[in-house]
Amino acid sequence: MGRQRIVMALAGAGAVAVVGAALLLPGGQGSQAAEAAPREPVPGDPLTGAEIARAGDIASATSRAHMAAGRVNLLYVERDDGKDAEERRRADAYLYDYATDRLIVRTVDLGRGTIVKESVTRGVQPPPSKAEEVRAAELLLADPAYGGGVREAYARAAGRQLRSVADLGLRGLIFTPGQEGGARRCAAHRCVRLFVRLPGSTWLDTSRIVVDLSAKKIYTLEW
Amino acid sequence: MFLRLALSCAMLTGGLGAAQTAPAAQASHAMPAARVSAAPAARTPQDTAVAQASQGTAVAQAVRAPAAPCSAPYRIDRTLPNGARWQLCWEMRNIEGLTLTKVVYTPKGNRPVSVLRSAALAQIHVPYDSGSPRYHDIGALGSTAIPLLAADCPGGERREQSVCVTTRARGHAYLKSGYEEPSVSAQGSDLVVFAAFQVGWYTYLAEWAFSDDGAITPRVGATGSLAGSTTTAGHGWPIGVGSATFEESHSHNVFWRLDFDIQGKSGDVVEQYDFSGSRTAKRKLKRTTFTREAKALNRRTRWWRVVDRGVRNADGHPVSWELNNSDSSQYRGPAGEAFTRADVYVTGYRSCERLASVNPAPRCAGSVDRYVNGERLTDPVLWVNVGYHHVPRDEDADPMPTHWQGFRVTPRDVTAKNPH
Repeated sequence: MGRQRIVMALAGAGAVAVVGAALLLPGGQGSQAAEAAPREPVPGDPLTGAEIARAGDIASATSRAHMAAGRVNLLYVERDDGKDAEERRRADAYLYDYATDRLIVRTVDLGRGTIVKESVTRGVQPPPSKAEEVRAAELLLADPAYGGGVREAYARAAGRQLRSVADLGLRGLIFTPGQEGGARRCAAHRCVRLFVRLPGSTWLDTSRIVVDLSAKKIYTLEW
Repeated sequence: MFLRLALSCAMLTGGLGAAQTAPAAQASHAMPAARVSAAPAARTPQDTAVAQASQGTAVAQAVRAPAAPCSAPYRIDRTLPNGARWQLCWEMRNIEGLTLTKVVYTPKGNRPVSVLRSAALAQIHVPYDSGSPRYHDIGALGSTAIPLLAADCPGGERREQSVCVTTRARGHAYLKSGYEEPSVSAQGSDLVVFAAFQVGWYTYLAEWAFSDDGAITPRVGATGSLAGSTTTAGHGWPIGVGSATFEESHSHNVFWRLDFDIQGKSGDVVEQYDFSGSRTAKRKLKRTTFTREAKALNRRTRWWRVVDRGVRNADGHPVSWELNNSDSSQYRGPAGEAFTRADVYVTGYRSCERLASVNPAPRCAGSVDRYVNGERLTDPVLWVNVGYHHVPRDEDADPMPTHWQGFRVTPRDVTAKNPH
């Protein structure tokens, strides 16, 4: 491997505390799920928490073995807002198979409780899920080159040792190689670029780090 | 492998069918829109009236009020002080974040007109001036919504913590001096719906203003913190002490997706307007009707409108909404980023075409430039690309002041007169 020079800069940013708290909210689909008391949703309402759970269950039924093995993940469930199905409650469940690098989108008709459409494709990467952000951070921490640096930066910012990735504020964006050099395998794999926030409203400069969730590898962009 | 971990804490881095029951001539000032009699049936639940515009009369049918398209927490129904009313639904979608649907405008003294079926952000593309990094900031935007404090929603109400619905002054709606009588004037106001999202260092404010004159102003504000990436003098600006480190300049290319459905999805047509005559005394209006999907570029006097010739105001003019995109820095990226190479895209509605780039749907094109593939337009969707080039300055030191970018959508002939 060539000589790589990585700079992890700590950005000293004084954002308000509530923002930090927001970043540390637990995963799941709280923002999308209706949080009010249970009621019968009308067609234009967001999916309720119960509908998200049910759609996820129905969509996952044929993938349970792969899911248990960690090969397939249910990313999230999104309301089907298509004009042709306006009066129906339908949900799109996004699943990803890391072994074959296939995106599987199953559309569940919540009224009938059945899958009414399935699309399987390669080369399309929907945004990372909360669980994927955590997985990417775990891979980063386990990386012999970067893990120590992240722990060290955390200790310096927090004044205590990092216990787990739950201590880190995480946001992930899909990385696809295009104008930026390196990480060519991400053309086919599911790759994530992480933003890592530390206590004290500081961020690690992780802009050159790409986490390949398919290959479970870390790449460093060269620019 | 050599790993250098530089921890620098420098300054920033370190541091709506409106119909009237009276003949048009009797109407005083608020001329409503009506579906012409050619329409055999109402196109939307709200489309309750049929008018015989050619005879200058309009006949209203007594129809029951339609059911609300969404439940209370997601329903916004606000009558502004001048009597204008906006009704819409919101949803915090997992990918696009704040999404507004079923937007209906009711000018004072008029019947409702449905305007937008859906409107949301479609991408925030952030390329840095040195060439890298290049982010597509719409990830799972809904999950990055920031819980708002009461102070973040002045005079308004917070919905499920992260959406603010409020009313805001917009200055003079009009002011006309009197001849012998006193002047007449009024202060305008906006219904404002917004949410904030934390994407990396940046906080993005996604705001929609619905004015009491029927205008819609979508804009995005970027605040939070600068990324803290340093570069050479040619690609940045020194914002720390001295001139040793240069904070990197970058663009925010914000895309919006607007599905206009003026009184339902049928009959909507997109037109482009230009005014010929450079260094000449006369100027001439030129209208280009987009019959097929199109990519359009900004020009100083160019504008577009979505018009439905089946929906007319009391003057018999077709109802439309005009789109102006005059404040863009017009970033044009390399060949691999062809989605940056036009300012307005008009595409035929397809439910899978959701984002302007890195589109998340299977069996669908990946970016908006590829959605434009010659299809004949029957139900047009508009994509608006507004760029902002941010050259950092000392004042951007934390927290970074909000910089805004957006565009204007204004009613054109929705009412026959100012419905003030």
